[in-house]
Amino acid sequence: MDVKASRATLAPDGPAIHIEDLTKDYGTVHAVRGISLDVHRGEVFGFLGPNGAGKTTTIRCLLDLLRPTAGRLEVLGLDPRRDSLLLRSKVAYMPGELRLPERMTGAGLVSAVGRLRGGIDTRRRDSLAERLDLDLSRRLRDLSSGNRRKVALLLAFVADAQLLVLDEPTNGLDPLIQREFLALVREAKEQGRTIFLSSHVLSEVQRAADRVAVLRQGTLVAVGGVDELRRRARQRVEVWFDGPAPTEELGALPELVNQHTEDHRFTALLAGSIEPLLAVLVRHHVVSLLVEEPDLEEAFLDLYEAAS
Amino acid sequence: MSGRWAELIGGPFRASWRAALGWSIALVVLIVSTVAFWPAFRGASGITQAIDQLPAPLLGAFGLEGFGTPAGYLRGGLYELVIPLVFAAAGVLFANIATAGEEDAGRLELFVSQPISRAAFFAGRCVAVFAWLAVLTLVALAAQLASDQIFGVPIGAGPVAATVVLCGLLGAFVASLCLAVAGLVARPQLVQSVGFSVAYISYLILALFPLSSLLAPWREIAPWGWALGGDPLVNGAEVWRYLLLGGPAVLLALIGALAFDRRDIRSA
Repeated sequence: MDVKASRATLAPDGPAIHIEDLTKDYGTVHAVRGISLDVHRGEVFGFLGPNGAGKTTTIRCLLDLLRPTAGRLEVLGLDPRRDSLLLRSKVAYMPGELRLPERMTGAGLVSAVGRLRGGIDTRRRDSLAERLDLDLSRRLRDLSSGNRRKVALLLAFVADAQLLVLDEPTNGLDPLIQREFLALVREAKEQGRTIFLSSHVLSEVQRAADRVAVLRQGTLVAVGGVDELRRRARQRVEVWFDGPAPTEELGALPELVNQHTEDHRFTALLAGSIEPLLAVLVRHHVVSLLVEEPDLEEAFLDLYEAAS
Repeated sequence: MSGRWAELIGGPFRASWRAALGWSIALVVLIVSTVAFWPAFRGASGITQAIDQLPAPLLGAFGLEGFGTPAGYLRGGLYELVIPLVFAAAGVLFANIATAGEEDAGRLELFVSQPISRAAFFAGRCVAVFAWLAVLTLVALAAQLASDQIFGVPIGAGPVAATVVLCGLLGAFVASLCLAVAGLVARPQLVQSVGFSVAYISYLILALFPLSSLLAPWREIAPWGWALGGDPLVNGAEVWRYLLLGGPAVLLALIGALAFDRRDIRSA
């Protein structure tokens, strides 16, 4: 049996990506500090965090572009270092910082990458170029940054890859193309491909991802489903009373933070169970009660505040 | 050749054609313009007499021995310093642009993340660099032989071919040194500094060490001397000179490829 093929089928049902205590230092700078997570096969996984959080460093370790300082990585059941050749034939990568050979045309670059990958589906290339409204005959230096990003998107989606690793894929794309990108992600997911999507555009991740990991200064702040993360974040509570708000009773509840009272109106953030609050409210005349679930952006910021 | 290898070598080879055209034009202009003065120089015996009166160590240091002969004229005018320097500079710049320069600019990431081994990727670039130096060698040789014919320089094609090929190999040696450094670190300035320093120091050793009885025996350590120390325009060249330049060139390129396989790739 082919050794490479047998490695590829070692864990066909295992996670698409397994990261265990990944650490990457650049001298005294700790870019990634012992993160661990699993990405399931066939899911769209959002990798969130601001610039410098360690997203790109993690991705570059997954692709064997960087060698981890410590920790264990497995991608599609393969070791990124030992099985790098086989692994890269199953992975398509779109770099976040795009530097393309300027004198080449888009078509020339796609052909060059196609030759390195052992061939590409030209019909799919043309179809993607049409969907992304991309003129491949133009030189890359003559393209806007958005159009260059479209070329990189095309390169990622035209590859016959089981895993797509996309680093900040929609930076600089207009809303129409962003919508097309989300459609491409959905189609790839339907085909059973795994998408690892690094972004700081929360609305994009919210629409595309099944699960999300949030990174902060090289550490993992949270991992979970988009809905779960929303639930874990603090909810905004607003209560209108028939009379003055019972500030003493409410102030004694540790689940309520950032409390603010204004005559009959009481607002706070609920971090924990709502039951103690309801127990207080039933003893008073409540005119209205509003408990708002945060969107992903609020949840993200909240998780960040909590982590810091 | 598979499509992958065709791209690994052909990609960087095609990317350097403008630079190669520039170097080719420079070589042709230098060679033709220097050889074009031979008919005038041949008749001016006063100049050769004046040069011959210089102290012997000085004549040796600047490659002016036998300047009145065809071989001496070509050595002093072209092959003592100018042509080897052009090959060394071309080697440094080809190697640097194909590897450390591209990596420093962040343009390698997209290609290195494709299903090809890092060592193969780097080796493809080394082959492209050597291929362009081979093309420049052929251009220089063709220009020299044609100029010799046109302007009536009575010198055999064999010694001329040996001299030009050794200049090309000197360029390949310096380029391979740059490739080795670029394999270790993606620092284009460092790569260039190492390449140009080695070439320049190597020339100084060959030119100036013979002036000191203490240093004279050490002139053989210079790659410049391995290439041109035996006066190939007069004597032709021994096989070991080709091997001493070509062998380490291949070895250094391999070291670069192996080192490139073992380190982090620089991003933009």
